[in-house]
Amino acid sequence: MVVRVRVRNAETGATVDMELELENTVEEIIEGVSAYWEKDPGAYVIRRGRRLLRGQQKVQELDVQPNEELELIPDPEGGNR
Amino acid sequence: MRRPPVILEGKDMEIEEMQPPAPERTLPHKWLPNDAKPLYSEPGGAGMYLFKSAEEKVRNHALSRVEEGLEVMGFLLGEVFTHDGHEYTVVRDVATTGLESTSVSVRFDPDGFEALFASLECARFRYVLVGWYHSHPGHGCFLSSTDIATQKGMFARPYHTALVVDPVRREMDAFCLVDGEVRRRKFLVYWDEYQNPYYGESVRSRKMRA
Repeated sequence: MVVRVRVRNAETGATVDMELELENTVEEIIEGVSAYWEKDPGAYVIRRGRRLLRGQQKVQELDVQPNEELELIPDPEGGNR
Repeated sequence: MRRPPVILEGKDMEIEEMQPPAPERTLPHKWLPNDAKPLYSEPGGAGMYLFKSAEEKVRNHALSRVEEGLEVMGFLLGEVFTHDGHEYTVVRDVATTGLESTSVSVRFDPDGFEALFASLECARFRYVLVGWYHSHPGHGCFLSSTDIATQKGMFARPYHTALVVDPVRREMDAFCLVDGEVRRRKFLVYWDEYQNPYYGESVRSRKMRA
């Protein structure tokens, strides 16, 4: 069984439609969209509404609805050195 | 055997043509460093218009940690527009959460993401993270090597802005990337009709008639 979701890049407003298998993990989703948008996957998280999706969570545990929108959020770092 | 997620289709955001905020409702920031001021006498619009209420949130956030000497950070939530071939952003709000910060570094507390997402959910418009802000308490406004890595990795589009505030020196400045190089960005504070029109000026109280 596959689920189709939309992932929005919060930095640009761009979106991708993805087809996921129930066994896919959040980490794999991040890796997929990061490769597409040429980003460092380690510097991003995904949110579903107010919830942070954990890397090892599987799609079947998330109970995502078809065509639901997830959002890719950067985890920036600042400093003065 | 399971396969990795498959990307079926990607779509870029369409950038709307829109007149920038009216000049009579914009001003350069009152904490602009002296060396930034010549940029503001040059003709041409700004690259970022910072809504007054968002500006107050940034400044107050930085000032709230000034006694501890700690950095603060957050996202600039806005929209991207174009006018006469010139791209610019309008920052309507900011979002932040608990931080892991010292006097020289800052990042979101990993336990603070859900609070951050709650504030993103409260945004009443389809925002884009048009940049980020952070403070350099007592160190002045510039982009450090860490900041530049963040800008290049996350905010590399021409319209993305890094807003830096020094609450000790009372300075605020903005930066962006042009062909991979850091450049100062002209930004203006703007307000709507119902907001305080006396931004940056002293206001004398009127004498009451007896």
